[in-house]
Amino acid sequence: MRRELGMFIALVAMCLLLFISNPDFLGASNALNTTRQISMLGIYAIGIGFVIISGGIDLSIGSVIGLTGVLIAKLSSSAPPGLGYPLWVGIPCALGVALLIGLGQGLLITRLKLQPFIVTLGGMLLVRGVSQTVAEGGTISFGDAPFLELANGGIWRVQGEPLLPYPVLIFLVVVGIGTFLLHSTVLGRYVYAIGGNREAARYSGIDVNRIETLTYVISAGLAGVAGVCYAAYIGQMSQQVGVAYELYAIAAAVLGGCSLRGGEGTVLGIVIGSAIMRVIDNGINMFQLQHRDEGGVPRIWRLDPNWTFIIIGAVILLAVILDQLVHMVNAARRTRRAAASAGGPRANSVDVAPDAKTS
Amino acid sequence: MTKGAPWLLAMSGITKRFPGVVALEDVSLELSGGEVLALMGENGAGKSTLMKILGGAEMPDQGRIDLDGNPVVLDSVREAHRLGIALIHQELMLAPNLDIAANIFLGNEAAVGSVGVLRRGALNLAAGALLARVGLARAPTTPVSTLTAGQMQMVEIAKALSKKARIIVMDEPTSSLTGAESEHLFRIIGQLKADGIGIIYISHRMDEVMKLADRITVLRDGRHVGTLDRDQVTSEKIVSMMVGRELKNEYFPPRAAKTPGPPVLEVHGLIVPGTARPVSFTAERGEILGFAGLVGSGRTELMETIFGVTPALSGSMTVAGKPYAPRRPRDAIDCGVYLAPEDRKRHGLVLPMTVAENISLPNIASYGPAGLLNREAERRAAEAEVTRLRTRTPSIFQRVVNLSGGNQQKVVLGKWLAMAPQVLILDEPTRGIDVGAKAEIYRHMAALADQGITILMVSSDMEEILGMSDRVVVMHERMLRGILAREGLTAEGIATLMTGRTGAAA
Repeated sequence: MRRELGMFIALVAMCLLLFISNPDFLGASNALNTTRQISMLGIYAIGIGFVIISGGIDLSIGSVIGLTGVLIAKLSSSAPPGLGYPLWVGIPCALGVALLIGLGQGLLITRLKLQPFIVTLGGMLLVRGVSQTVAEGGTISFGDAPFLELANGGIWRVQGEPLLPYPVLIFLVVVGIGTFLLHSTVLGRYVYAIGGNREAARYSGIDVNRIETLTYVISAGLAGVAGVCYAAYIGQMSQQVGVAYELYAIAAAVLGGCSLRGGEGTVLGIVIGSAIMRVIDNGINMFQLQHRDEGGVPRIWRLDPNWTFIIIGAVILLAVILDQLVHMVNAARRTRRAAASAGGPRANSVDVAPDAKTS
Repeated sequence: MTKGAPWLLAMSGITKRFPGVVALEDVSLELSGGEVLALMGENGAGKSTLMKILGGAEMPDQGRIDLDGNPVVLDSVREAHRLGIALIHQELMLAPNLDIAANIFLGNEAAVGSVGVLRRGALNLAAGALLARVGLARAPTTPVSTLTAGQMQMVEIAKALSKKARIIVMDEPTSSLTGAESEHLFRIIGQLKADGIGIIYISHRMDEVMKLADRITVLRDGRHVGTLDRDQVTSEKIVSMMVGRELKNEYFPPRAAKTPGPPVLEVHGLIVPGTARPVSFTAERGEILGFAGLVGSGRTELMETIFGVTPALSGSMTVAGKPYAPRRPRDAIDCGVYLAPEDRKRHGLVLPMTVAENISLPNIASYGPAGLLNREAERRAAEAEVTRLRTRTPSIFQRVVNLSGGNQQKVVLGKWLAMAPQVLILDEPTRGIDVGAKAEIYRHMAALADQGITILMVSSDMEEILGMSDRVVVMHERMLRGILAREGLTAEGIATLMTGRTGAAA
């Protein structure tokens, strides 16, 4: 929880700084849009969180997001080349395909003992190619179908703007279910155990293959849900949608305290990590400093948007460097403790770490 | 060794600690040029840690190392190489995709004048000369992937020679060699001796050691037990030094002579993958059945088959009279057969998880309804086991990684005791655990047996075998050599069977 608290404080500090430099940051339209962006990232970051906590990796989710949107557009858009089926056909079909992609990758990884990195890398390219083929290399527009309301509409409208857009609502539901699954069910416990020590989990009678496969299904399924949101948000689909999104999700998960070694991370942390990613993204546009030049003319200094990736990359590196330093300090402390407890004659030494209370 | 001349290598007072364990304590070792020193000890005795220190891969916490009487600091592998120390690991460290010459001079290309650009001609010429010295009749341009294990061993030796090694450490060099290849290796070792090179030879094979070694150093539990000239020793003597022999009776809980009980685990003609000979035995209710044998005798493999980790190829088992054929650990667990594995950290514990989470791991699904966690039931079960085993931990929410070896083992035991075992398999239950915690674990084992639990105890510690077992199964080279009753059980009787000699079986 310490990691989550630290990142939450960083997030609040960042928001405050942005608000002070530019009050528009918390203005209705920017706040709403940033929240929507956080939500859409958070949905699939929680999905990949399951995979990462169990010790795997999923590079295919950006492509799954793209394919879901392209399939909905192809099946349900009324404008050609859309086929004009109703949305209650298009959306479930697209989500079904997403789940199948996750199942296929999970089975390849667990049954054939293939490395997750390479299976999902192949999946990423293959699924991207399918999107391109379905979209015939072009763009499929939804026109102004009511489907777009899914991203822009919401409940509790105030002055025409929804207080709670549907993507945020979906995100909250995903957070609720994700938290419940990971922290309150046996499945979640097994996910942590497999990530912590796969072999010990197997020796404890856990069906490691089934649980691992399931994490890839969850990851692809939530990528599909995010894909529905993105399709509605963008309003038209090409194979370009979703490129490199998996990297944002991995970064969000790691920022929020997941370790790529597996066994560590919480849903809350992933939510905070997603928020940080999007606030940085948005902050680069919003941040400004007012000053006067030599002539006394008021001017506004803004960040060069070309720095976006430099800043995001630096933040991720800084977070993992800090995390690693904490790990190393803790390990050194354990070694010192062991040395201290082994200092006395062995027959008399107490078989316990010195900070342990013998109650 | 003549008085006055310094040892080629003298390591003295070497102590090395790792989190939770003392790997080496005040260990000394001396080697002179032109001799073979056999280094013996069971797994975990500290041999590999000592050799890592010699090879510069680990720094000792205390102690000194002298070469030719001059103190040296081996703070890197490179420094050890520079001083002429070469390690040949059991798992050979060759790059299979490169050829012989490239492997011999890997990282040392400058030795034949290659700086930046490889001088292949010079490399091959120099490699050819070294190959002749180790008697390997293959061209230097042969890819290493096409060589046999024995030939790769020769390449490793040639590599050591290319660095002008004066001390060569060989870790179980014959473990994957054929008989003829081993003979060849022994001839080469003879030549190296004649050239004045000091050799530290690590092996579990008694016949090799008796044949090759000039002196033998035995380690046990990270301590130096003794160094003996080969002429002074018998293989039984070495085994008893390795496994510890002086019986300390007060150490073990008194156990009443066991009356025969009904069979609980029956094993008939079980073929463990990787072995040819079937194994049969019966374990009774409330019995502690010891499994003695040297490393590699197939005891752990047998236990993993009984636990369903590696399913049997053929044969049959019953538990409490019912057919029992586990294909995976879950099947075994469902029948009340549990394993506390030899390698606790790899197979027994999820180190980053808490004591409570580890104890509940195999059973957590049964605590709550429909896949939900029941933290209250989990907490109660964990508290009960921590109290029962007197596990020293600040709380059940402490991460297991922070506990000492003895308390980690109690967590592994607790996880199974919470599930009412029928058969409890304990593979090296006290390895790496200090004396006080050992005695406690012995008391718990005796109490569990008295409650009617059948315990299969694999141990490389002779004291433990003699002190705890009701009967002893002795294995050697993956075969069951004999089952000895408690009456008339002696260390010598067991050691004889352990070293593969038959005839003395009771």
